[in-house]
Amino acid sequence: MSKKLIVLFLGLVPLLCTCFSPDTPSDRRVLVLLDDFAIKSSHSIFFNNLKSRGFDLDFKLADDPTISLQRYGQYLYDALILFSPTIERFGGSIDAAAILDFVDSGHDLIVAANGNASDLIREIATECGVDFDEDSSALVIDHSGYAVSATEGDHTLIASDDFIKSDVILGSEKIKAPVLFQGIGHSLNPSNSLVLKVLSASPSAYSANPKSKLTSPPSLTGTSMSLVSVVQARNNARILISGSLSMFSNRFFRSDVQKAGSPTKHDKSGNEQFVTELSKWVFHERGHLKAVNVKHHKVGEVDEPAIYRINDDLEYSVEIYEWSGKTWEPYVANDVQVQFYMMSPYVLKTLSTDNKGYYFTAFKVPDVYGVFQFKVEYERLGYTSLSLSKQIPVRPFRHNEYERFIPAAYPYYGAAFSMMAGFFIFTAVHLYHK
Amino acid sequence: MAASSKPGSPRPPPSSSSSMAQDLFNNFSFSKTLKLKTKQQELLIRVTVLTLIYILAFITRLFSVLRYESMIHEFDPYFNYRTTLYLTKNGFAEFWNWFDSESWYPLGRIIGGTLYPGLMLTAAALYWVLRFLRFAVHIREVCVLTAPFFASNTTLVAYFFGKEIWDSGAGIVAAALIAICPGYISRSVAGSYDNEGVAIFALLLTFYLFVKAVNTGSLAWALASAFGYFYMVSAWGGYVFIINLVPLYVLVLLVTGRYSLRLYVAYNCMYVVGMLLAMQIRFVGFQHVQSGEHMAAMGVFFLMQVFFFLDWVRHLLSDAKLFEAFLRITVTGAVSVGAIALGVGTASGYISPWTGRFYSLLDPTYAKDHIPIIASVSEHQPTAWSSFMFDFHILLILFPAGLYFCFKRLSDATIFIVMYGLTSMYFAGVMVRLILVATPAVCLISAIAVSATVKNLTRLVRSQSQAVQSGSSKGASTAKSSSKGVIDNSQPFQRNGAIFLLLGAFYLLTRYAIHCTWVTSEAYSSPSIVLAARGAHGNRVIFDDYREAYFWLRQNTPPDAKVMSWWDYGYQITAMGNRTVIVDNNTWNNTHIATVGRAMSSYEDEAYEIMRSLDVDYVLVVFGGVTGYSSDDINKFLWMVRIGGGVFPVIKEPDYLVNGEYRVDKGAAPKMLNCLMYKLSYYRFGELTTEYGKPPGFDRARGVEIGNKDIKLEYLEEAFTTQNWIVRIYKVKPPKNRW
Amino acid sequence: MARSTSKDAQDLFRALWSAYSATPTNLKIIDLYVMYAVFTALIQVVYMAMVGSFPFNSFLSGVLSCVGTAVLAVCLRIQVNKENKEFKDLAPERAFADFVLCNLVLHLVIMNFLG
Repeated sequence: MSKKLIVLFLGLVPLLCTCFSPDTPSDRRVLVLLDDFAIKSSHSIFFNNLKSRGFDLDFKLADDPTISLQRYGQYLYDALILFSPTIERFGGSIDAAAILDFVDSGHDLIVAANGNASDLIREIATECGVDFDEDSSALVIDHSGYAVSATEGDHTLIASDDFIKSDVILGSEKIKAPVLFQGIGHSLNPSNSLVLKVLSASPSAYSANPKSKLTSPPSLTGTSMSLVSVVQARNNARILISGSLSMFSNRFFRSDVQKAGSPTKHDKSGNEQFVTELSKWVFHERGHLKAVNVKHHKVGEVDEPAIYRINDDLEYSVEIYEWSGKTWEPYVANDVQVQFYMMSPYVLKTLSTDNKGYYFTAFKVPDVYGVFQFKVEYERLGYTSLSLSKQIPVRPFRHNEYERFIPAAYPYYGAAFSMMAGFFIFTAVHLYHK
Repeated sequence: MAASSKPGSPRPPPSSSSSMAQDLFNNFSFSKTLKLKTKQQELLIRVTVLTLIYILAFITRLFSVLRYESMIHEFDPYFNYRTTLYLTKNGFAEFWNWFDSESWYPLGRIIGGTLYPGLMLTAAALYWVLRFLRFAVHIREVCVLTAPFFASNTTLVAYFFGKEIWDSGAGIVAAALIAICPGYISRSVAGSYDNEGVAIFALLLTFYLFVKAVNTGSLAWALASAFGYFYMVSAWGGYVFIINLVPLYVLVLLVTGRYSLRLYVAYNCMYVVGMLLAMQIRFVGFQHVQSGEHMAAMGVFFLMQVFFFLDWVRHLLSDAKLFEAFLRITVTGAVSVGAIALGVGTASGYISPWTGRFYSLLDPTYAKDHIPIIASVSEHQPTAWSSFMFDFHILLILFPAGLYFCFKRLSDATIFIVMYGLTSMYFAGVMVRLILVATPAVCLISAIAVSATVKNLTRLVRSQSQAVQSGSSKGASTAKSSSKGVIDNSQPFQRNGAIFLLLGAFYLLTRYAIHCTWVTSEAYSSPSIVLAARGAHGNRVIFDDYREAYFWLRQNTPPDAKVMSWWDYGYQITAMGNRTVIVDNNTWNNTHIATVGRAMSSYEDEAYEIMRSLDVDYVLVVFGGVTGYSSDDINKFLWMVRIGGGVFPVIKEPDYLVNGEYRVDKGAAPKMLNCLMYKLSYYRFGELTTEYGKPPGFDRARGVEIGNKDIKLEYLEEAFTTQNWIVRIYKVKPPKNRW
Repeated sequence: MARSTSKDAQDLFRALWSAYSATPTNLKIIDLYVMYAVFTALIQVVYMAMVGSFPFNSFLSGVLSCVGTAVLAVCLRIQVNKENKEFKDLAPERAFADFVLCNLVLHLVIMNFLG
């Protein structure tokens, strides 16, 4: 790696070192900010689950004046869980900007909102591309997808099973039961290309105040409304935003669920499985890739040259591994591509793999000189994006690398040499004659 | 006497004994006391004068070194310096094959194949010689002093040239004139390490050797002039002037019936060998047989063969009628073959059309209408009358007089210098920087005027006193200048008038010398990379912002950082900042420059996309609003718009103008106020009070209060601003993390 | 018309030949040399027209070496021809030395340019 290679994990290499280090990307220390300590017990299953997975949870009240995310420029935590939907101002030195900086320096975040979520929580969500319904008293209502319960209720308790189709985010095992959700809905900012809907509302859902009559059409309706969303930032920090805090609660975890209109009644809601799998993803226990040992050299050589010549044959290789939570496992895929790029890709090749994480290919440098880049842009849903680029100039032929004797030119050579011979003969004759 | 055996040409034969120098200096008594023979006296004086001129030409160009320091000036010289450095470090083979990946990112540039290597090779050769002689010089010093050194050599060539076309007196005057002529000094002061510095020497040398070859009809001189031409081709693109002027001259001689076998020998040998030699320069390559600019020479070459052949046949055939028949057959055949060849060549694109620069020479408005990138360079603007006066001073008046003398004594050589003078004056009028090419001709022709006038006048003055003397030196001169019928007239008032006129001539020449020195010290010795101004108390204030910025780049940015700036600063950034640039002063790829122009004239978000696509890390702008430095990027901005708009029609010049007016104040066009260049130039400028009694944000270069004081940058951040705000560097932010 | 032209041409040719026979032998040698060079150049041009101008530098150097040789020889011929009064003060030895020098340069450059 000490060679002149430029591997950019989206240009934020130094920041990566402070959080999920390349060796163990999973988070260890997690700060949990709560509205009150009652949540600690009412959501204990979720927290205990995290603890059992090796996380070190630090519970603090959100308005505790002693809390801080960093000390002496070093972040104290790897991740932050905001279970404080009503907080208007954090204690200590934390504010929205500090939390966003925390994310921008590569740390993970779980935000859970609720009905009447505070402006502060909304601001953080907005900065992550998630817009909660502006009506603070609005809740998600679904008159056909609600969870059947003893009392008729106002249909704000929703049983949703419209999950994102991604094994990486939600695990390979199918979520067995619908997820209970009670809270506010949000829409995704269309200009943000990084935010993903993990749990979508059903077509019949809408967001309104259940206590009052609808006077105008609701602003958020149907599947465009999201209940739970995730963001994977460009520096691979992961953010989970849920419109419902109670989704994580023990009550919902244990509750049975029957979706309206569905004959099957599940003994246990899908919440525990859903939240656990999702937290695994958010805390980088899954779907985290790394690329190492980017190498390229001429065919038949070992050392990396400082410059290539046009029409050189070269070999390119890279090793890609995935973090399994404990160790780096070889990543196996058949769709990793490398570009030989100068303003546009001149060569685009799919890399072959030995199924042990080693990807390689060989190609010919195009007949164009310039400053090229080996580019691997690997972006797959749920996986951290790999963006490797390595700059390499390509030079034209040197003056002595062209073909020297061209058969078609032999008459010209002959003529030139015959002229020289002629000159000598002529000189001799001319002098002799005199 | 060792100094008299100067290189280049055999010692002048002392036949033309009545040179001006002798006439002038004979009157001084010190030469008489030396008791030398007249010829020896004359030779001694001539050599002394030439040596003095040689030294003068060198030291008058050292103003800039004294004023500032020994450094490279301007823009292009930095590239030349960088390449010379590379040449001395890596040797010729590496230099010849140098592919530079640091400029024109990401295209790169084949340096070896796209430059005229003459200058670098010359400087490197000087450097190696000095090293060999155990002088521990730095290559920069050699580069700085190359131009003055060659200017000195030019005076020698001018002397021999003057001697060849007129007499040694004219030669000496020509050497003196050209030594201090501002038109030449402007391109050859110490530090102006540019192609022109050696090219004028090569140009004059080629012409001199060619004229010599025509006069003697010797193959050796023609060969020498071919080598001169080769040197010229290797040094400067202006060689096109030679390859067109010489055939034109030959053609004129043919038409006026002065064709001679000497001409045939001189031209053909020079053309064939010169062309072959020129083809060895990679940048020129096959142009001699492909480009339209060189076709005239080839046409004249063939015409010459035909002419010679016809002449020879006529010589063989004594019968005129037979020759006529022969002529009819051959001429019709030749004309038709030639026309077909030219037609096919042009139609198939084998003969490339003339380049834009060449067109703009013939038609001054061509560039303005068609090629903004040519028109944007201030050097390519048509010349103003004042700059003629500035650069030539009295030579401008002496020039027609010299032409008169040339016409009075018409010979092959004087025809050549007349044609050189007239054509180069025309081109000088078209393009400012071609004044340089005209300077030697103007000096030579003026020297003829001065020399001839002074000689006539002194003869008049001495006509009575000489009656007593033996007139040993006069016999030859009267025979020679038989065209002058002034000697018979020896009325006394005429003698007084002659003295008066002589004094007047000396006064004029003195004024010329004073003017030249003044111009050199005031106008042509500033390096333009370090700016000087008068402070409030009349003291000199030095703005060294450019170098400050370039060294900041060198020290504070990653080695592979790419810097985007307008192309003017490209060479300096690569040479001094050692960073990759997107475009530079070698304007070979118009599209690439237009892309930069487009980025500069777009809104910030659009520009960001362009900069991302070019992997730009830093943006550098030059801003003169604080210091009142007027050649900054805002004043160049319309050219960026034009050049960008020439390739990308999205950019429209009227968007940046209000009623056809270019403004930066409150009345400016909205697009202007929000384009990248405006934002980068005036970022945080609204907070700054530049001048007492003026509102904050007062732009001193344009004398207005700026229109947009509240500039927010979203995609870039300020990285560095120099002390006087002349250079501002911005860092391009990485894409937003969460979007 | 055609007949008169051909007759003219015949007359012409005969007159030329008779005039030419009077030239000194050393000039005739030079003429032969020039003819040889021009002929070689023509062959190359024809060859280029047939196979195309790919190794353009080789073609140019081939042709230019012939043209150069021819031109230099013609120059020499002019200079050693005693009928040309212009070159009276130029010794034939000097002319020949110049000629050899030019040829050396020419062929050196051609060698460089050929490959």
